[in-house]
Amino acid sequence: MSIVNLTLIVYVVASISYVVREIWRSIPVKWISLGLLILAFCLNLTLVLKRSIEAGHPPFSNLYESLIFYACCTAFVYIIFEFVYNFRIVGALASILAMLILLYATLQDDTIRPIMPALKSNWMLVHVVTYMLGYAAFGIAFVTSIIYLVTKPFSKKGSDSKESDSNKEILPRNFDKLSYKIVAFGFPFLTLGMVTGAVWAKKAWGDYWSWDPKETWSLITWLAYLVYLHTPLVLPKMKVSKSKMSVALAFWLLVSFGIVNFTFVGLNYLPSADDSMHVYGAK
Amino acid sequence: MMGSSKKNPAQLKNNTIGEDKQMNINKPAQSKRKDTNKVWDFFCSVKLAVIIILVMAVACVLGTVIVQGRAFDEYTARYGSGLASFIRITQLNNVFYSHWFSILLVLLCANLICCTIRRWRNTFLQTGFVLTHLSLVLILIGGVIKFQLGVKGGVNVYEGKSVDYFLTQKIDSSGRMDYVKKSLPFSIALDKFILEKNEPKYQIVTYVKDKDKQKIIEAKIGKRQRIPGSDYRVTINDYIPDAELKQEPVNESDNPDNPAIFLQLFGSERLIAEGWLLAHANNYHDEKKQDLRLEYIWLSSQQEFDNAVNTIQNAHAKVSVSVPELGILQDYSLELNKTFKLSGSEYSLRMLEYVLNYGDRRPISEQPANNPAVQVEIEGPDGVETRWIFENFPDWDKMHPAKYENIKISCSNIANSHMTKNVFRIYQAPGENKKIVYIRDKQIVETIPWELEKQYSFTHNSYQLTISNYYPSFNIKKDVVKKSDQIGTPAINIRIDGPNGKLENWLFADSKYATWYKDNNFAMIYESTGESVKHYISDLRIVKNNQTVMEKSIKVNDPLKYDGYAIYQSSYDAEKLSYSGLQIVKDPGIPVVYSGFGALCFGVVFIFYVKPFLRKKKKIGNEVAENEYS
Ligand code: HEM
Repeated sequence: MSIVNLTLIVYVVASISYVVREIWRSIPVKWISLGLLILAFCLNLTLVLKRSIEAGHPPFSNLYESLIFYACCTAFVYIIFEFVYNFRIVGALASILAMLILLYATLQDDTIRPIMPALKSNWMLVHVVTYMLGYAAFGIAFVTSIIYLVTKPFSKKGSDSKESDSNKEILPRNFDKLSYKIVAFGFPFLTLGMVTGAVWAKKAWGDYWSWDPKETWSLITWLAYLVYLHTPLVLPKMKVSKSKMSVALAFWLLVSFGIVNFTFVGLNYLPSADDSMHVYGAK
Repeated sequence: MMGSSKKNPAQLKNNTIGEDKQMNINKPAQSKRKDTNKVWDFFCSVKLAVIIILVMAVACVLGTVIVQGRAFDEYTARYGSGLASFIRITQLNNVFYSHWFSILLVLLCANLICCTIRRWRNTFLQTGFVLTHLSLVLILIGGVIKFQLGVKGGVNVYEGKSVDYFLTQKIDSSGRMDYVKKSLPFSIALDKFILEKNEPKYQIVTYVKDKDKQKIIEAKIGKRQRIPGSDYRVTINDYIPDAELKQEPVNESDNPDNPAIFLQLFGSERLIAEGWLLAHANNYHDEKKQDLRLEYIWLSSQQEFDNAVNTIQNAHAKVSVSVPELGILQDYSLELNKTFKLSGSEYSLRMLEYVLNYGDRRPISEQPANNPAVQVEIEGPDGVETRWIFENFPDWDKMHPAKYENIKISCSNIANSHMTKNVFRIYQAPGENKKIVYIRDKQIVETIPWELEKQYSFTHNSYQLTISNYYPSFNIKKDVVKKSDQIGTPAINIRIDGPNGKLENWLFADSKYATWYKDNNFAMIYESTGESVKHYISDLRIVKNNQTVMEKSIKVNDPLKYDGYAIYQSSYDAEKLSYSGLQIVKDPGIPVVYSGFGALCFGVVFIFYVKPFLRKKKKIGNEVAENEYS
């Protein structure tokens, strides 16, 4: 069996074990599920490393390479978070998300092609890695928002403040806070990704910003998360209840993650894509 | 954390007391001037921030959904005249440089500055907040400087030449891009342009015909790969970086099923020609310049051999004439200038001339038999008609108006009617029946028996013949061999397993033909993915007052900077490599923007990583303190 298929399967198995862990809460099951996900991550990382050795360049030169790296980052960011917070059911969806990204990668053209001159830059390396970590965090925030919206009707009201003191145990009704923490983790990466991208563009094309569709959409992504970060300061003043605000923000995170993915893979559908030099596969 | 913590009483208690106190001091001061306060509040509010950010996001979406910076005609063609004029009025054809977008940016700036001033507190924890918000202001200011004072354009420089200007783009009143020439305070000389290419890469493309599916598979030795959605499996057995197809004659058996000889012809000790003659395939060789032909004739019995050696057989050249309505169908042998009477009619026929290659000006002995033709003269009641009859194009005369349309003429074997001046016929039959017959001017001049590897000369000419090899069952063994270790013409040996068993074959890179599997449903080619560019480098020199002030080899990602200008490698003449395309940028705003970038990165890291970390530490400290005092 190829490594890709094996990785896909291990992701699915890890996901199932997270569901089991939710029903049967025991320490061994907890470590088994985390272990499985770490195994899937390692396999995914092997895939990335193998690819970059075969291609002879960092694995970000086309959509296929970026996607396998994206899947790898998603698993990585989740694993890091699980060591900090008790994530519970989030792991099930996070590993499914990584699996879907990898599955999408397998549908892409995986031909190794020589890297074009503009991509030969260390700025590009930092740029892509930070972006992918940011995107991965937003993927996890997407998952926690889904869980928040799904579990909200079942959770009891009025006990928010008690549990929120303890970071260790996240209860279902606190998934909104968890989303916030993950976005707060990812947003600096997104910002760094944008800034290093601008510096790289300046070096390669002579301009740090030229309103290219790819640049514009990464700005839209950044603005979307900026709105997410600032609205908690507005809505209470407008007499919106806290629970309504949380729901609205959770929905906003779903939309924002949609924007992330559009920026990543959807730009080819834009009428202005032909003018862009960053769109995958436009040339 | 930042947003939710403000409204959270449990956490407010843990915040530093200093921050809360300062907030209380600010408030009474503001409430004194009520009217200005409202405007001020509005400019400080997060509400405005969120609105601006959202509007900007929408503007960005519009700026990518609607193509930007085209001529207005194009918008009319694309969206219709109503929508096009809406786009024109709202400047949606140029969103990011429109007036309303500028206003948006000014508002954003104002908002950022106001909120920073209002929240200004001299505490360390505020560092991140101040840095991020002011960094954005810096970046915007830098952008304005670029827009006002910066220039960006391009110029093509030819190798060995220099330029002291460049061209910038400008949108004219009709919305079309226009070029404006800008002069430079120095000149740029291109001493040399270098293009480096990557080593060519190769790929295997497979094709399943009934599914009309193409797939690129890995060229990896030893791996058995299934072609998805089909029953075919491909294994690559071997790879040669520089392969050559060697074709080696071999003898398969002693049974003379495909007799062949290897012949050498010398003229005054100099080798004129050598090669294999196959009795059943290409059994002759013409040496047109020498008016000479070599033939190899295999006969299956002694009797045939004896007959053949003593006669000059020639396949008959003939001209066939038919007149369907008179029921005439007559063959004539090719004899020039003889009048044939068409019996049962009033016509007579004469052959005037024949050629082996119509239109060829050379003497007939040098013509290849590409387009043999005979010129025929027909005499009848209506006078004389001449026409050319082509052996290979029997319908030719039908397409051309002729006087005697009812007479159809065709010809065959014209090439054989011409016998070269010198003919060497090498006869062979089973047993020791071997003879060389030398024919000159259609007369047998000499007959000599031959043996292998002996040189024969003739009394009436100066040629020598050697028959150095004889293969009764000639065949060609194809073999792929390595020419060198470099990448030349790579070849791979593949094995296809499919419904009709296995097939092994060599695939040469960029061969004109695909390799088909036996069922004609699966094909493979091995092709190069095209040479790709690795680097392109321009050796530039900056010249000012006839003096070289700077020299640098620039390439993509490595520009030259001089006197506030940055010169980038941006393109090149792909066809003739005669010029190098340079991009020339002057942007005095760069230091401002880059400090903004630095502050922004530092600021966000501070807000989201450093501050929570410090808070947590402080919180633990407070708890300890609380415990001690209680
Ligand atoms: C990288 C981008 C940005 C980050 C990380 C950021 C972060 C923050 C943070 C941490 C606060 C303080 C929240 C608190 O402690 O209560 C804040 C407040 C605020 N931000 Fe931003 N912000 C960013 C961009 C912007 C932009 C682009 C604007 C608008 C034009 C903006 C306008 C505001 C306003 C008006 C406030 C409220 C200040 C107040 O409470 O008085 N911010 N932002």
